[in-house]
Amino acid sequence: MLRLAFRNLFQNKTRLVMAVGGVGLALMLMLALDAVFTGAEKQLTAFIDRAGADVFVAQTGVRNLHMVSSWLSYSVVDEVRAVQGVDSVTPIMYVTGMVDTGKERNLAYIIGIPPDALMGKPWRVTEGATIPAPGEAILDRAVAAQSGLRLGDKVNILGQELRIAGLSEGTASITNSIVFISMSDFELMRGVAGKVGAGQDAQAVSFVLVKARPGEAADALAARIEGKVGGVTVQSRANFAEQERNLVKDMAADVLTIMNLVGFVIGLAVMSLTIYTATLARRAEYGALKALGARNGHLYRAVLAQALVSVTLGLALGLAFTLALSALIPVTGSNVALQVSGESLLKVGIASLIIAGLSAILPIRQIGALDPAVVFRRRIQ
Amino acid sequence: MISTDIKTNVTGVTHLTDEAPQATLQVSNVTKRFGSGETEVIAVRDVSLQVAPGEIVLIMGPSGSGKTTLLLMLGALLKPSEGTIKLGDQVLSDLEENRLPDIRLRQFGFVFQDFNLLSALTALENVAIVAQLAGAKNSEARTKAATLLTDLGLSKRLNFLPEKLSGGEKQRVAIARALVNDPTLILADEPSANLDSQIGREIMRLLKRIAKEQGKSVVIVSHDQRIKEIADRVLWLEDGEFKEMVTMVTDPVCTMPVEREKAASAEWDGSPYYFCSQGCRREFLLAPWQYLNGSGQRVAITGDVAIA
Repeated sequence: MLRLAFRNLFQNKTRLVMAVGGVGLALMLMLALDAVFTGAEKQLTAFIDRAGADVFVAQTGVRNLHMVSSWLSYSVVDEVRAVQGVDSVTPIMYVTGMVDTGKERNLAYIIGIPPDALMGKPWRVTEGATIPAPGEAILDRAVAAQSGLRLGDKVNILGQELRIAGLSEGTASITNSIVFISMSDFELMRGVAGKVGAGQDAQAVSFVLVKARPGEAADALAARIEGKVGGVTVQSRANFAEQERNLVKDMAADVLTIMNLVGFVIGLAVMSLTIYTATLARRAEYGALKALGARNGHLYRAVLAQALVSVTLGLALGLAFTLALSALIPVTGSNVALQVSGESLLKVGIASLIIAGLSAILPIRQIGALDPAVVFRRRIQ
Repeated sequence: MISTDIKTNVTGVTHLTDEAPQATLQVSNVTKRFGSGETEVIAVRDVSLQVAPGEIVLIMGPSGSGKTTLLLMLGALLKPSEGTIKLGDQVLSDLEENRLPDIRLRQFGFVFQDFNLLSALTALENVAIVAQLAGAKNSEARTKAATLLTDLGLSKRLNFLPEKLSGGEKQRVAIARALVNDPTLILADEPSANLDSQIGREIMRLLKRIAKEQGKSVVIVSHDQRIKEIADRVLWLEDGEFKEMVTMVTDPVCTMPVEREKAASAEWDGSPYYFCSQGCRREFLLAPWQYLNGSGQRVAITGDVAIA
């Protein structure tokens, strides 16, 4: 019966192409959307993942980076440094603001870093300085390229004109980019009085990035810092990134659900129609098989196998489309990054199985009700 | 002039002696009703029939006479309202519905008018799939199928799809499919209807060879007069009942159809002529040439027909 299922499926090439193509596109919709959000999650947690810190110290109640404001007294930096298990600390300043390139305005995480920063600086610089000096900014290469900017060109950040001193990579996402400026410029722009750095006074920082000593567990160190330093929320890098991802998921959950549902319904409709019409077209043959002695179970298996094979091919096609898309998009200079996750593949795979099962129900009912005697009555349509 | 040499009796029952082999199929007083009350239709009425091993029985009759209904009951595709159908030692009419597919698969071979081959499968696979349904392993089923198809002259067509086969070849594949599980009874529904006369005859001779050489009982339902040539018995079904077959001829004088066996007859110029009455006979004998158009007796307008 499996042979029959395969042959039935591959005999009508047009129908097969339409079915597999339709299901493939529907599943691609689900996969690509998931991939966009998985890619966005990666991009959005890029700073947390790549800043070099094991532990992040923030103002009490601040558990993520996106669209938050965190202010800590500079004294916290020394308090954290004094905690057992801390190897080094780097204070950073952070705000979400606009970068005006002259041609366009881009939303950006603006990170102010001290000149001696061990952490929190751009992790991959393709050109120029790795740490911005006063009056300088390090911009994402793709953002600069979109505006036709090069090293030495000027951009306006938080009302100040800064010279592009470096170009970083992997610091742009679907929603924003990351711009690195000096902490002193940040203070001036934000009107934060005082000085930072060794031997200098300061009033506030946004986060304290902490490097743990070798062998020190990040979660244990985070708990220890939170116990010793008052007024702070401390999280390991993994927890901080997870919180960020959850936030993105929360924001995107409704859109994802709706689009996944749309993809599912389209896939189901295409598959149902295909399997139904394929079964209808072979009604006489199924009737003959029943007359010859085939049981309903035999025929159900043939129909289900056709649905499963079609959907599997559709899933493979959808995955191929998505992977091709994820390879093509960066070439266009877009900041959208598609990343197909195992979780997404599993979800869409399960959805495919459900589509196959549901699409076979109607034809199975049709076959179940088919009277083998119709073969003799020659009334089969 | 159409005539028949078929010997039959009204019920179609072959009276078996003690020496005769046990009938493959025994149909006893089978009736099939559809609907009830005022809308009740009796499609088959109190029909009895026995088919011996190796015997070919042809069931003929006009459209709506109950032939298909009877064939469906014989093939365990429809349960009779009354009476019993026995295949070998098994009373089919008493079996549970879920046991019937297995009986059809192993005990019956079906040959359809439209061949009903699976269009996506090759000739070999069309035959093998039925063996596989009966539990044969793939290689065993393919070997059996190949042997049968080769025996039926299709050794060079094994891997052809049905669309690449002629009508006669398709029917041969269907016959191989009917034989693959070594059934005791072959039921053929208008097996020559979609074939030209020469191929139709070949297929009929093939069925006869199978019946005689392999001892398979064959029941054929058909309108095709040519099948009479190979049939051991011809039964006429009309209004759901088997009826005696008679030959109808046309009175050359008044052109009325008359039953040959009961008609008044006369011989002229070496040929027999039949009349509705002595009056027509006398009139004919006075000037026969007036009525013949030089071509002998006008042919029967209805050919073989049945009477109750």
